[in-house]
Amino acid sequence: MKTAAVTVAVAGVFLLPVAGPSAQGVNDAQIASTVVTANQVDIDAGRLAASRSTNGEVKTFARLMVTDHTGVNKSATDLAAKLKVTPQDNPTSQSLKADGDKNLAHLKTLKGTAFDKAYIDHEVAYHQQVIDALDRTLIPGATNEELKALLVKVRPAFVAHLEHAKRLQASAAPKG
Amino acid sequence: MGLVAVERPKPKTHTVIIEGMRFQPESLTVARGDTIVWVNKDMFPHTATSEGGRFDSQSIQAEKSWTFTAGKKGEFAYTCTFHPTMKAVLYVK
Repeated sequence: MKTAAVTVAVAGVFLLPVAGPSAQGVNDAQIASTVVTANQVDIDAGRLAASRSTNGEVKTFARLMVTDHTGVNKSATDLAAKLKVTPQDNPTSQSLKADGDKNLAHLKTLKGTAFDKAYIDHEVAYHQQVIDALDRTLIPGATNEELKALLVKVRPAFVAHLEHAKRLQASAAPKG
Repeated sequence: MGLVAVERPKPKTHTVIIEGMRFQPESLTVARGDTIVWVNKDMFPHTATSEGGRFDSQSIQAEKSWTFTAGKKGEFAYTCTFHPTMKAVLYVK
């Protein structure tokens, strides 16, 4: 299930309509929507994990995701308002939302270590997916310099979160 | 001007910018009595926390700063407790 959902979401990145002014076929309003959706999806998963996980390290990670992605979203929405850009729904934001909803529904059926494993596995896949979208579509596609700068600035946070999630994934793996 | 030689140099203020999940500069050398200001330019909180417990900023919110005056000589490796991949070092001569 998880793999299929991630595949759909990743595929969405490549299925953007050729409508925007950039070579990536995505305009700034669509990029703003994708960024806000990507962060919101992880905030929602983080809130669930912070309350449901019984593992201290997973809870700490989940709270960090809520704090960091909330901070990014505040900056992104402030910038969109300043630039008078209304975030515009698009296939990438829609697939991120659909994948996020599917993930939440799946997580809500789990408890204990099964919950932690599913949450962390999805966090690894999700952060990798967003980094790929930043590199392939969002950063090269952004036409406004301030929007592009925000995306460039936020990328290292996604990389650090990915490393953090991978570390938790490795420490939870059965020892040989 | 013999007196100048025995006077301690005037304390300086140094700035470490926290941005893009990095401390910049990652290595900073200061004199005892100097002040270091960590300025958080990221969109979410960070800390500047030495491994030996010499200093700990606690949470520095986005666009806020934290100031520390170096009192003791030594090499102080520090990190952000929220993001342990962030590492830097402060040398106090």
